Amino acid sequence: MLGPTSGGSVDLDDCIDRLYRRELLAESIVESLCSKAKELLIKESNVIHIKAPVSVVGDIHGQFFDLIELFRVGGFPPNTNYLFLGDYVDRGYFSIETMTLLTCLKLRYPHRIYLVRGNHESRGISQNYGFYSECKAKYGNANVWNSFTDMFDYLTLSVVIDDRIFCIHGGLSPNVHSIDQIRVVDRFKEIPHEGPMADLVWSDPDPEKEDFGISTRGAGYTFGAEIVKKFLHVNNMAHILRAHQLCEQGFQVLFDDRLSTVWSAPNYCYRCGNLASVLEVSGTGERFFNVFDAAPENEEYREQQALQHNTMTEYFL
Amino acid sequence: MTGYQFPSQDSDPLYHFNVSALGAPAVSRLGWSVYSSKKPIMSANEIERATERLTIPMPEMIFGNNYIVVAHKSGWSLGFNAIDALDLVAKHGNPQGGLVKVAYSDAWMNDKKKSSGEVHQVVKPFDWTYTTSYQGTPASSLVSFERTSETIPLGRLRRPDPILFFDDVVLFEDELGDNGITIVSVKIRVMEERLFLLCRFFMRVDDVLFRIRDTRLFIEFADNKILREYTVKQDSYENVKRKIRHSAGDLGLYLRDANWVAEQLPVVETFTETSTIPVIN
Repeated sequence: MLGPTSGGSVDLDDCIDRLYRRELLAESIVESLCSKAKELLIKESNVIHIKAPVSVVGDIHGQFFDLIELFRVGGFPPNTNYLFLGDYVDRGYFSIETMTLLTCLKLRYPHRIYLVRGNHESRGISQNYGFYSECKAKYGNANVWNSFTDMFDYLTLSVVIDDRIFCIHGGLSPNVHSIDQIRVVDRFKEIPHEGPMADLVWSDPDPEKEDFGISTRGAGYTFGAEIVKKFLHVNNMAHILRAHQLCEQGFQVLFDDRLSTVWSAPNYCYRCGNLASVLEVSGTGERFFNVFDAAPENEEYREQQALQHNTMTEYFL
Repeated sequence: MTGYQFPSQDSDPLYHFNVSALGAPAVSRLGWSVYSSKKPIMSANEIERATERLTIPMPEMIFGNNYIVVAHKSGWSLGFNAIDALDLVAKHGNPQGGLVKVAYSDAWMNDKKKSSGEVHQVVKPFDWTYTTSYQGTPASSLVSFERTSETIPLGRLRRPDPILFFDDVVLFEDELGDNGITIVSVKIRVMEERLFLLCRFFMRVDDVLFRIRDTRLFIEFADNKILREYTVKQDSYENVKRKIRHSAGDLGLYLRDANWVAEQLPVVETFTETSTIPVIN
């Protein structure tokens, strides 16, 4: 681990180099990074306007090797501009390394890296789905989890590319007709169970429907073709870009090319066998899904772990 | 392709295992063979066809091309696959009675009543937890099971006999919109004298409910003894959580561990059945 530096200053380039090598940073460094990130993120609007070219990334879920593979395929920052659509943590083995690296990159290149909040960037979810356990296991306590989840409260909710493409983690909300309604949301808090903030990070498109529907689970929305058309028309936009749902081919385009899902965790949970993609939006507005497969390092790591723990066979009953 | 394919006609049985077309078995022993397949999740096209067929939305991760088949040379076989497991999920239901709801559903629904008329109620409720009583797909009418008072001889399975073949195959999994998990997986181990298979449905709805449905298959090669045990377990989330030591700290580690949870849940129902291989002429 990298030791604490004097005077509270952190050498970001050094941190990034260490993180590319998958080293953990000291607890005090992580705390310092998170508090600096909060100072930066608090100035960002709930709706950030950016310009293409930019590469848009979907769910990563702690699949660190695959994030590096994505950079190999799409270009390392700052040579490529990146917009990440959330769900950085949980499920995969390396949520801490993934989140620490993205935080450092954001601090180092604040106008070339944008981080949107996903539904997993919350205390409630990340306590149950891996990030909390990983922090306890790797640091022996939950301090790093506390620092990061406090920082999550500051992440923005949406980004607009070239005034044409509206980007969120999940989807639309019946409480949000105009993008201006997002600007007035008080986002500096844990993601609530209901309301516009919840819907933007949780909802899913339903290609079979026209309007909003209520999920069969008894909470959460789905939205259909007519809702998408109306939203784009009212806000004078051409396309909705979101993540949040696993796609076997790494992406899915719905509603006559009005909405795309981008998914960036190949072989999700190390067993789904799916592809991943990064969506490259060019300076002239063309969209290209750059598809990639799981990084070879995953298999090496798995074999290493299997040897160490002898998990190949078991006498289950 | 293998002998394991989508049916072409709607009238066909959902999935059927044509054992002769499955290719080489993973292991064979005294007339018994085990076939297994581990493939990526289904493609969008495959999912579309399966959805039409089953008439319910597919789980988020569906391994429709995975299977484990246990077959005897006499023609007896029992296979395990995702589509047949999903076919037993309740495809209709009333959200006000019977179907499980997420923990914050009532609060959420009350709030919704105040909002606009654009929102439609749940159009076609089904059991979104994908609870299934699946106990395997028999080859044909050659295979039948009858209740027995015998039980699976666990003593013989506890012996550290060398394992000739082991596999662990996921059939489907759904994160229940991050409200928990449903996972159906099949594990098998083949020893020199016997084989043992466990098909487990595991469900956790956060702050609501745990549910396990286990199908265990035991086959003794020497006398072709076949025993299948089905066990249903269930308890509230609160009751299970209470069983974690206070010093444990990280509750999630326990609540995500299906094996630990299985030991905490009371048995609601269990029975054992036996089957006999057909006589070879």
